[in-house]
Amino acid sequence: MWRYLGRRLVQVPLVLLVVSLMTFLITRATPGDPVQIMLGMNTSPDAAAAMRADFNLDKPLPEQYALWIAKVATGDLGRSIRLNDRVTSLLAERLPISLQLAAAAMLFALCVSIPLGVIAALRRNTWIDYLCTGYTVMGFAVPNFGLALILIYVFSIKLDWLPITGIGSAEAAAGGWWAYISPFIVPAIALGTLQTAILTRLLRSSMIDVLSQDYMRTARAKGLLPSTVVIVHALKNAMIPFITMAAVQFGYMIGIQVTIEYIFAVPGMGSAVLNAVVNRDFPVIQGFTLVIAAFFLFANIVADMLYALFDPRIRY
Amino acid sequence: MALAEAPSPGLKAPRAAGSLRLAARQFPRHRAALIGLIVLALICLAAALAPLISPYDPTKIQLSAKLKPPSFEHWLGTDHFGRDVLSRLMYGGRTSLSVGLLVVGFAFAFGVPLGLASGYFGGRIDNLLMRLVDAFLTFPPLLLAVALVGLLGPDIQNVMLALGLVQAPVLARMVRGSTLSVREEVYVTAARALGAGPGRIVLSHLLRNVMSPIVVQLTIVFAAAVVAEASLSFLGFGTQPPQPSWGRDMSEARRFLGDAPWMFLAPTVAIALCVLSINFMGDGLRDALDPRAWRTRRSVTVSEKP
Repeated sequence: MWRYLGRRLVQVPLVLLVVSLMTFLITRATPGDPVQIMLGMNTSPDAAAAMRADFNLDKPLPEQYALWIAKVATGDLGRSIRLNDRVTSLLAERLPISLQLAAAAMLFALCVSIPLGVIAALRRNTWIDYLCTGYTVMGFAVPNFGLALILIYVFSIKLDWLPITGIGSAEAAAGGWWAYISPFIVPAIALGTLQTAILTRLLRSSMIDVLSQDYMRTARAKGLLPSTVVIVHALKNAMIPFITMAAVQFGYMIGIQVTIEYIFAVPGMGSAVLNAVVNRDFPVIQGFTLVIAAFFLFANIVADMLYALFDPRIRY
Repeated sequence: MALAEAPSPGLKAPRAAGSLRLAARQFPRHRAALIGLIVLALICLAAALAPLISPYDPTKIQLSAKLKPPSFEHWLGTDHFGRDVLSRLMYGGRTSLSVGLLVVGFAFAFGVPLGLASGYFGGRIDNLLMRLVDAFLTFPPLLLAVALVGLLGPDIQNVMLALGLVQAPVLARMVRGSTLSVREEVYVTAARALGAGPGRIVLSHLLRNVMSPIVVQLTIVFAAAVVAEASLSFLGFGTQPPQPSWGRDMSEARRFLGDAPWMFLAPTVAIALCVLSINFMGDGLRDALDPRAWRTRRSVTVSEKP
């Protein structure tokens, strides 16, 4: 297993290299000049040339890429053209917020999908199972930004229970724990509903699968408490694919937050990439996509490791 | 060669027609799939016939009738410019559905040959192609589409191109996987022994047998493309105003959330219905194309899926 982990970790820089090359080519091959956007139309050619030189944009493309990669290897992601700030310090602002939102969404997904999946599997073809199926079907069908608008309408406008914006704001940080947590609730539900649907469906089917195994009958025949049978024997085994899927989905979360961040004015990674794309802020686009891709890769490796950890039959 | 060629056209034709006909007979037995097909057909019809049947001009501004709730004149109400929401919905569907179709076409045209080549030839080609696919798949799809469209310019053609580029690798990976397993089947060895060349094996043996997972995957691609197009338009990267678009209209409805909930509800329901009916259809196709899941009678299920 450790050798497998080593092999996977060695592959990470290679995949990231391909990713970085692709992002680089995409940014350079498309129209739009960051310096022009930054300085405006009626600027002196000298100022534009100076700025280009400052960001190495005047050099040939292979050299630009080589210079950038060499810096990345030392942990320096360059400077933002737009904000004239280090990409790493921008990352330090944005990444924690995105991670918190992703964690909140995942927490919601876990809290709903585990009980719902288990109960639906135990009470198959009853109203609660149909409710669960209905919920998962809707979770797949309603896009997260549509769901976000519905939730805002119900919980923030009609009922006036929860705030719409405020993640990462000064007031949220200064007010108590509720002021800090409350802005997360609506976005987390909107973001996590698709994951809830995926995980509930997975847990339901793997629970049904486990419940039909011979050892379940043995456990019941031994006279174990029904709750022990369900939790220790069934759930523990059914959780293996569930945990893996949850880890994979968590890896996806940061990348799919864009629309949610846009609606709720969250200063996270997605909105930073969105702004960077509009302004052709190449260093920010390159740096942030690299981090998002790395996060996704590591989440996948963790998922595979968890799989081996929980299921002793799996050998890598 | 003559031996290999002679019997196959005669043997192939009735079998293909037969299995397709059997599949077509299976499909309506899946009730949800049938309902999905009907709903999707109605949505497509409403979008296609929008210029003929839409009650109003979707871009006509009439400020005297702005933010009106659903009524007899305006079935789904009006927006902040007094434009009819139902008409905008019908015209918006034209964009969403055509983007969906073109993305499916793009993904098929690029993903299937790539996957077949990768799976059939294996070795270095496979390694190179799959590492490229890996790199594509580490990008979150929506973010990649946003980056591509944002950099190319917000334009509906670029949206199609970006979404096609996002979806093709997914399909390629799936086709490669199916090809790998089908490649080892006895009938492929038999065909090779009879002297069939790689082109013939790939086209008439591999492609035919990986076709049913492809068809099912394409329904997923279609649904994903509809949602992605709406997301991009929502973020301001797709259809530009005043052209009607489901995603764009939802974005504008945000400012009137409390006063005119029908403005965001109508496109949300339209997208959800679209995705729902495509998903149901995909489930039905999956069962219809898989003989093991066929139902012998209407209510009796042969193999119950857990």
